[in-house]
Amino acid sequence: AASPAPRSARAPSLPESTAEAAGAGRAARGVYRGPERRGGGGVAAAWGMMMDGSAAGTSNGGSGADGDAARRNNTRMPKYSKFTQQELPACKPILTPKWVVSVFFLVGVVFVPVGVVSLLAAQDVVEIIDRYDHACVPPNMTDNKLAYIKNDTISKECTRILTVTKEMKQPIYVYYQLDNFYQNHRRYVKSRNDAQLRDYKKSNTTTSCDPERFTADGKPIVPCGLIAWSLFNDTYSFTRGKENLTVNKKDISWKSDREHKFAKNVYPSNFQNGALIGGKKLNSSIPLSEQEDLIVWMRTAALPTFRKLYGRIYVDLKANDTITVRLSNNYNTYSFGGKKKLVLSTATWLGGKNDFLGFAYLIVGGLCIFLAFAFTLLYLIKPRKLGDHNYLSWNRHPAGR
Amino acid sequence: MFWNLTDSTRKRQSVVCRFPNGKLVLYCKGADNVIYERLADGNYDIKKTSREHLEQFGSAGLRTLCLAYRDLSMDQYKSWNEKFVQAKSSLRDRDKKLDEVAELIEKDLILIGCTAIEDKLQEGVPACIETLSAAGIKIWVLTGDKMETAINIAYACSLVNNDTKQFIISSETDTIREAEDRGDPVEIARVIKESVKQSLRSYLEEARRSLSNTPERKLAFIIDGRCLMYALDPALRVNLLGLSLICHSVVCCRVSPLQKAQVTSLVRKGARKITLSIGDGANDVSMIQAAHVGIGISGQEGMQAVMASDFAIAQFRYLTDLLLVHGRWSYLRLCKVITYFFYKNLTFTLTQFWFTFQTGFSGQRFYDDWFQSLYNVIFTALPVIMVGLFDKDVSASLSKKYPQLYQEGIRNTFFKWKVIAVWGFFAFYQSIVFYYFTAAASQHGHGSSGKILGQWDVSTMAFTCVVVTVNLRLLMSCNSITRWHYFSVAGSIAAWFLFIFIYSAIMTSFDRQENVYFVIYVLMSTFFFYLTLILVPVIALFGDFLYLSLQRWLFPYDYQVVQEMHKDDPHEYSMIRLPERSHLSPEEARSYAISMLPRENSKHTGFAFDSPGYESFFASQQGVCVPHKPWDVARRASMKQQRQQPQRTGRS
Repeated sequence: AASPAPRSARAPSLPESTAEAAGAGRAARGVYRGPERRGGGGVAAAWGMMMDGSAAGTSNGGSGADGDAARRNNTRMPKYSKFTQQELPACKPILTPKWVVSVFFLVGVVFVPVGVVSLLAAQDVVEIIDRYDHACVPPNMTDNKLAYIKNDTISKECTRILTVTKEMKQPIYVYYQLDNFYQNHRRYVKSRNDAQLRDYKKSNTTTSCDPERFTADGKPIVPCGLIAWSLFNDTYSFTRGKENLTVNKKDISWKSDREHKFAKNVYPSNFQNGALIGGKKLNSSIPLSEQEDLIVWMRTAALPTFRKLYGRIYVDLKANDTITVRLSNNYNTYSFGGKKKLVLSTATWLGGKNDFLGFAYLIVGGLCIFLAFAFTLLYLIKPRKLGDHNYLSWNRHPAGR
Repeated sequence: MFWNLTDSTRKRQSVVCRFPNGKLVLYCKGADNVIYERLADGNYDIKKTSREHLEQFGSAGLRTLCLAYRDLSMDQYKSWNEKFVQAKSSLRDRDKKLDEVAELIEKDLILIGCTAIEDKLQEGVPACIETLSAAGIKIWVLTGDKMETAINIAYACSLVNNDTKQFIISSETDTIREAEDRGDPVEIARVIKESVKQSLRSYLEEARRSLSNTPERKLAFIIDGRCLMYALDPALRVNLLGLSLICHSVVCCRVSPLQKAQVTSLVRKGARKITLSIGDGANDVSMIQAAHVGIGISGQEGMQAVMASDFAIAQFRYLTDLLLVHGRWSYLRLCKVITYFFYKNLTFTLTQFWFTFQTGFSGQRFYDDWFQSLYNVIFTALPVIMVGLFDKDVSASLSKKYPQLYQEGIRNTFFKWKVIAVWGFFAFYQSIVFYYFTAAASQHGHGSSGKILGQWDVSTMAFTCVVVTVNLRLLMSCNSITRWHYFSVAGSIAAWFLFIFIYSAIMTSFDRQENVYFVIYVLMSTFFFYLTLILVPVIALFGDFLYLSLQRWLFPYDYQVVQEMHKDDPHEYSMIRLPERSHLSPEEARSYAISMLPRENSKHTGFAFDSPGYESFFASQQGVCVPHKPWDVARRASMKQQRQQPQRTGRS
């Protein structure tokens, strides 16, 4: 039945290499149970040829081959792929004791040094915190602080003496810290208009700035909104003995804010002109992009207790230096029971005196190493053969249904 | 001249024939009990022999029919035919009237004899049923067969064995037969009901006793359709259900389609169990629809069952794969996907919740709107879909090797309140970590510039931690991790960074988008960000890891033990490779070719029955060598063909 002639006629036209074609030929002649099976290529070629032949519908293929093809075409068998058949090679992680212990150990080994380094960095930071909102109220008015702060006739000047506990290398950062001030209150946060700050042509745009949109005579306020209106207005100046320590207020805001969110050609106008004065007044001849106090203030804080950068002092302070702070205690935190603090701090590569991160790393790292040992102990005390038949529920409770 | 269709309530079929000589004969075939009811008196010999034969055949597992005839006179036929035509043309209750008319003529029959047909179980049915029982599935056989046949099949399916204690409620008892002989239908009903009631009660007591004394002994409950009708009475239903639930297997024979549905809904509603019905005939449709899960076997009996079903399979034995492999995987995946959805949204939302406490309860949002909107859509969407598609705890072959694993699903191990509570607890824990660890950061200056982070910096940092952690948590809960998992998890995290890099680099005036302007770059300019990004996910996942390790070691799930047992197995493909792409050995090629042959199926396929190439019962009884079935011929032909195949391919 099988005449080899058509095959050999076709064979040269096939693109396979001669070796493969020969393999295919041998396979096709029915001896492929032999050594060809080792060579996948030859066998695959045989299949390819089969399909090729039947697809071409060669007459000499015989009804069998056509039937084969027909069967293959008629079948509704889905096309095979590892994806659809869910046979993708997969990693099957099992939390074996080895893994558990090594993961804990590894985390511990990495975390403890990081923690130590962060902690050391935080330890280097010297921080002086002075709460002055209470102390700056004259003794006779401590019962009525609100009256004190609202009374413009009473001088708000106040002097605080700070002692440097440890040597502080420049730059020394001056922060003010407010407590119980909800800069993240929803209605406070939205009471601003960024378009207005960015573009002098939009100075009339005061949407969402309620209640500080317009002055009493209907002129738009720039910068509008509650955030700007409540700008912090306590001021500090520092002296060490006779020496005046200048506070550098340049570059206290993020560059992106300064350059993109507050424009160089937008000037404050109609600001703090109303009956109620919220806070600091702005010099209307200085563009917003240079009003860094405002820019700092308007990057609203996440928590009701927050610090804002006031400025930097580029002088080294020695231990036991006494620093006299002259401050004007203008900002009203008394009406909501807020606290005001002045903070002098140095910084390291990690930032201010934040030992939280270091402790967290250290504790977690230590805990992981402890757990690595604890688990080793557990595996020794309460051993369980991996894959123990007896742990299968149907072996544990054989009577159960 | 006319015929009455068989239906399940009539259980018989009649024709009236006229011989060339003008003689009229009514022939009737049907189930034995139906025909025997309608036999004329006399001929006790043949009745007795036939009955003996019937029992013999039945216990040999054959399906039996009785044949009877009756001579009709022309007048009888004519007067009857008038009524019949009238009934046929009536507009109301036509079926009922037709039945009544048929009753008029189908009486005083003379028994011809009985027939028996062998109807073998489909390939692999006993093994399948055994596997399913081991999987904790209780199997009820609802069949239209005679009781003897049904019991025999139950033996064949290993539902019943010689040690099994059988509780049989049959209408073929002497008392009932006596009552039948007396012929008063009311009396018959009363007698049957009484006996059903009594036996139910006594069996229930006995079963309970057996359960407490010898719990390892298997119990089987067998009832026939007629008694079942009374047992399904509301007064007896409780006992029926109680007894059925105690017994390991239940066989209902001679039941009508309606009763099949009734029994199914009895279990479904009464026992509050998940029910699955499987059948291939039109008479299984009502049962398939009554069950939670209906499965049709596509076979020779038409497509009704398949069309009414939720799933259709080609052979009964594929039920093992359907339930133990795909059903189990689906269950696991669903549980995982649902619990994970709970978890990831809870984690995310709770961070917002904690923030609310520190905003003076003003409802300020913690995250930018777009973060929130895209969280479920992009940043955490794909990995969980991958789990839903690909997660496998154990391979298909192991699922079948350890059918008991299926019991985890029956006990709903993975979707209990406890499981959800554990996820919920860790979501709670993680949200606290996310919120407080990142919020604590805003207190101090970061980096050597001493500048302070604002609210949006903090929230962006928290969100980054959430996205990273939630995606990594998914990897932790995967039993098998394919490259798609890696792609999707890494892709989701990368998508977040890509998004925030672009989003915070542009400034539009749409709804406070300026808030997040440049935040990610501000964050990335500090060491603090990177340290937090490593710390927070590790702390967040610490609890989960601890829990998983302890749980696995101290209270391992069954599937975990099985995983451990086969941890070092080489990667095995769970399914048979489909042949297009793979090379087949000659043996495989042959078996494939055989499997592709058109199948000759028995015309009489009942519940899960068809019989490729069986040896005839009668022939083997008589020691006669039977001619080969067409299927056998085809098989041999295929073997020959297979030997020729290499030559054939050579020609192409």
